[in-house]
Amino acid sequence: MIPAMKESVAAWLTESQAQELAVYLLGNVPGLPPIAQSFHILGIAVVMSSTVMINLRLLGLAVPSQNVSEMIGRLMPWTWWALLVNATTGLLFVVARPNRYFYNPVFSWKFLCLVPAVLLALVIYRMSKREPGYWEQSTRRLVSARVIASISLVLWVGVVLAGRWIAYSDYLYFLYE
Amino acid sequence: MNEESSVPFTAFWTWLETLPLSEHIGFTWWFPFLESLHVLGVGLVVGSILMVDLRLLGRTALSVPASRMRRELVHWTWPAFALAVVTGTGLFMTRAGTYIANPAFQFKLLCLLLAGMNMAWFQFRTLRSVGAWDTAAVPPPAARVAGLASLALWIGVIFAGRWVGHII
Repeated sequence: MIPAMKESVAAWLTESQAQELAVYLLGNVPGLPPIAQSFHILGIAVVMSSTVMINLRLLGLAVPSQNVSEMIGRLMPWTWWALLVNATTGLLFVVARPNRYFYNPVFSWKFLCLVPAVLLALVIYRMSKREPGYWEQSTRRLVSARVIASISLVLWVGVVLAGRWIAYSDYLYFLYE
Repeated sequence: MNEESSVPFTAFWTWLETLPLSEHIGFTWWFPFLESLHVLGVGLVVGSILMVDLRLLGRTALSVPASRMRRELVHWTWPAFALAVVTGTGLFMTRAGTYIANPAFQFKLLCLLLAGMNMAWFQFRTLRSVGAWDTAAVPPPAARVAGLASLALWIGVIFAGRWVGHII
């Protein structure tokens, strides 16, 4: 079902005016491709310093003196804004060349990491918002938070690595052919 | 393009490029592998520094003392920086002469140098008086200037770094 959906979205985008516009912008606005990519990397840096740092804190690996709930309230808005910036800058390239991304398995891996990573970040955020100190109120909750944090960290690393490998997916094919 | 001739130490860059290790990186999956780790390292370096800079500017985390923010985050900055340097050197080796002649690469090195000098100045001069302003919401001008300069320089590193690949 998903491959068929991807195919129709890719086909629809390829024919769309949005695709024409993205191609025009990337080709005619001086420096737009590296500028958009730089904002994308800057967004990654902000994700690292917000949701990733919270995960490291939950595992006791970073900023031990900072309070978990306070950190979540202070830093998670940065994550959401960074994700918005990265979605916008990323979409520019995806819309311009839908087939390059929708038929690229590494692009799929990136999203297989990204979607659960964002959902787990939402869980951490929502519970802490609803009840400050939620994750530290019992050993059971702290253990759950640590499990979520560990999985999230692996997923975020996966997002970053896969993101860079999208441009090199051919290497993987040659490797395993 | 014969850009290499315009930079000094041409022989050295050529030697570096023709090392078996450089050629191995350049012609195998090692290049994208190192590059992806480089992005991870850069993300952590700039992310951790960003948090300290914004605290120094008096913009966020006002309840956290500035010196503690710096001390706790630098534990992540240095290992991440080491990762970025090692992977970056691996990438650089593959086309050393071309990178050295690349204006974006030169600008990146300049930003890194200035960011390092700014950090050293802050740590050995400005931070000496931290006792007087550690818990202040807005640190004194010297600390704010250091934070702003650091922010600008690291954003410069990211832009220049991403631009390198668009010039070659």
